[in-house]
Amino acid sequence: MVQKNNIEEEILKEIEKEEKIEFDEKLKEKIKKEIKEKYKKEIEKRRKEIEKKKKKEKEKEEEYIMRFSLNIRLQHFILALGVIILIITGLPIKFHDAFWAEWFFKIIGGIQVSRVLHRVGAILLFIVSVWHMIYIVFTKEGRKEFFELLPRIKDFKDFIQNIKYFIGLSSEKPKFGRYSYIEKFDYWAVYWGMVIMLTSGTILWFHNFFLGLIPKFLIDIAHEVHSDEAMLATLAIVIWHWYNAHFNPEVFPFNPTIFTGKISKERMLKEHPLEYEKLMKNKKK
Amino acid sequence: MKILIFLIFLQIPEQKDRRCLICHGKKDFGIVEEGRFKSLFVDYKELKNSVHRKFTCVQCHNDVRVIPHLKKPKKIHCLDCHFEGNVVGAPVDVRPEKYKESIHAKAKKEGKNSPDCYDCHGIHDVRSHEDTLSFIYRRNIPKTCGRCHKKELEEYVISIHYKAIKKGILEAAVCNDCHREHDVLPPEDPRSSLNPRNVVRTCEKCHGNPEIMKKTGVSVKQVEAFKESFHGIALEFGVLKAANCASCHDYHKVLPSTDPDSPIHPKNLAKTCGKCHPNANENVAKGKVHVIPHERDAGIVYYVYNFFKIFTIVVIAGLIVHIILDLFGQYRRKKYGSEE
Repeated sequence: MVQKNNIEEEILKEIEKEEKIEFDEKLKEKIKKEIKEKYKKEIEKRRKEIEKKKKKEKEKEEEYIMRFSLNIRLQHFILALGVIILIITGLPIKFHDAFWAEWFFKIIGGIQVSRVLHRVGAILLFIVSVWHMIYIVFTKEGRKEFFELLPRIKDFKDFIQNIKYFIGLSSEKPKFGRYSYIEKFDYWAVYWGMVIMLTSGTILWFHNFFLGLIPKFLIDIAHEVHSDEAMLATLAIVIWHWYNAHFNPEVFPFNPTIFTGKISKERMLKEHPLEYEKLMKNKKK
Repeated sequence: MKILIFLIFLQIPEQKDRRCLICHGKKDFGIVEEGRFKSLFVDYKELKNSVHRKFTCVQCHNDVRVIPHLKKPKKIHCLDCHFEGNVVGAPVDVRPEKYKESIHAKAKKEGKNSPDCYDCHGIHDVRSHEDTLSFIYRRNIPKTCGRCHKKELEEYVISIHYKAIKKGILEAAVCNDCHREHDVLPPEDPRSSLNPRNVVRTCEKCHGNPEIMKKTGVSVKQVEAFKESFHGIALEFGVLKAANCASCHDYHKVLPSTDPDSPIHPKNLAKTCGKCHPNANENVAKGKVHVIPHERDAGIVYYVYNFFKIFTIVVIAGLIVHIILDLFGQYRRKKYGSEE
């Protein structure tokens, strides 16, 4: 405060010198007060800004961890979009007797429009499958992720441990790595589904070409398999995937990680503790 | 006394008609009209065997007051009596109205040679459709229609439908089962039973009826299978270029797949499918047509269907159990705390 007073005094003296006038006591006090207030405000403002910056950096570096790269997020997004289109345009064909099938075709503009949309969905699925193959073969990141997704004995042990934990036989939750057995199941289920749906779907799409190439009963099988696997996939998505990503009380209403790529440290510790440990070790190194 | 009066009453029509038959009962009776001989002979026996047996000649030809009549009686028409509200009680239903909508009535209006009621039902010899001598008795219908539609009759008599009729299975399709009788409409008309969107329903009338199909040994499931196929679904939602029954089975000349002339004989299938599917070859004959996946005779498709059925149930049940256990665990820990 003493120093401040000095500064104010000095400023006043300087002005007096420059203007060659003398301030009376009253004016001096007034100017002093105003200067004081101004810099108090300025200091306060700057202090707040610094605090905000610090908080942001803290959040970025400590509280949140990047879980999915943009590449993975885009793959998931296109896959999800394709599957949604395919299910919406496919179900009314499987359940063509249902009243809503007729509604749907009326709203969308006829079964022919629906067929075109179904093929659009199919193209998205095809794109994402080729993309993913390139990703897991030709990129370092993809190879690493694929390696993480391979099933191991630990997954089976985790599964048993998790069931024990659910029913109360154990109080310890299994410690998952980068991908839990639940996530691995989802990944490989999509693998199985994609192989079946893309193969049978291609036969059905280009039936005129395949009619000259393969016996009719294979086309019948493609037809049956396409319809049955579609049902299985739809049920798995609606029951299993929606539970894990939406309706599970632990994540309700929505787990945004696959879209934002970020996961909080808290959730990371809970859901992927082994991966977190590994991450921290690598950081120290 | 009562019996006597009754007998006299019965005699009356014949007594009255006797006067007409003095001329019209002669086989060579006729006039020359527009340079051509026109027979005016009436086979009285035919009238007496018809559904109008109770009526006398002048009850219909009611402008004949004096016999012999000097003027040519005016033309009479079935609808003179068969109209709604006739106190005499001539049977009437929607049929005449339906006829007015038909292609026959339309052609007639345009002045073409097209059938009126009596062309099919007869004139003096109108008999019930249950009468085996009637023009409209099931067995006789093809012949009746064939009087004009000669080419169609030629094709029809080869068909399995006519073979069945000859065998005595009278439920087998004759002309009117597919074309309808009074409201005969061209296939282009969306109301027509032959319009692509209605063909399946037309065939289904018999081919979806287990009682009729039992007699013929044809599977009753064919229609159901078709409706579940892509062809059937496309048709259901208005894609009329999709194949319907007649696209493959033909219509007048329907033949079983065992007949080498049939378009659905395995040897001819490539050509039949090729009408729409350009690359169709002998491969289309390798496998069943009209497949119902849940029926054992679907062959390999049946096993694929069952594999997926069991697989889906097991997987989904497993996932649901996992979810329930998870929820149960979460609930328990919330209630009693995470420490056991």
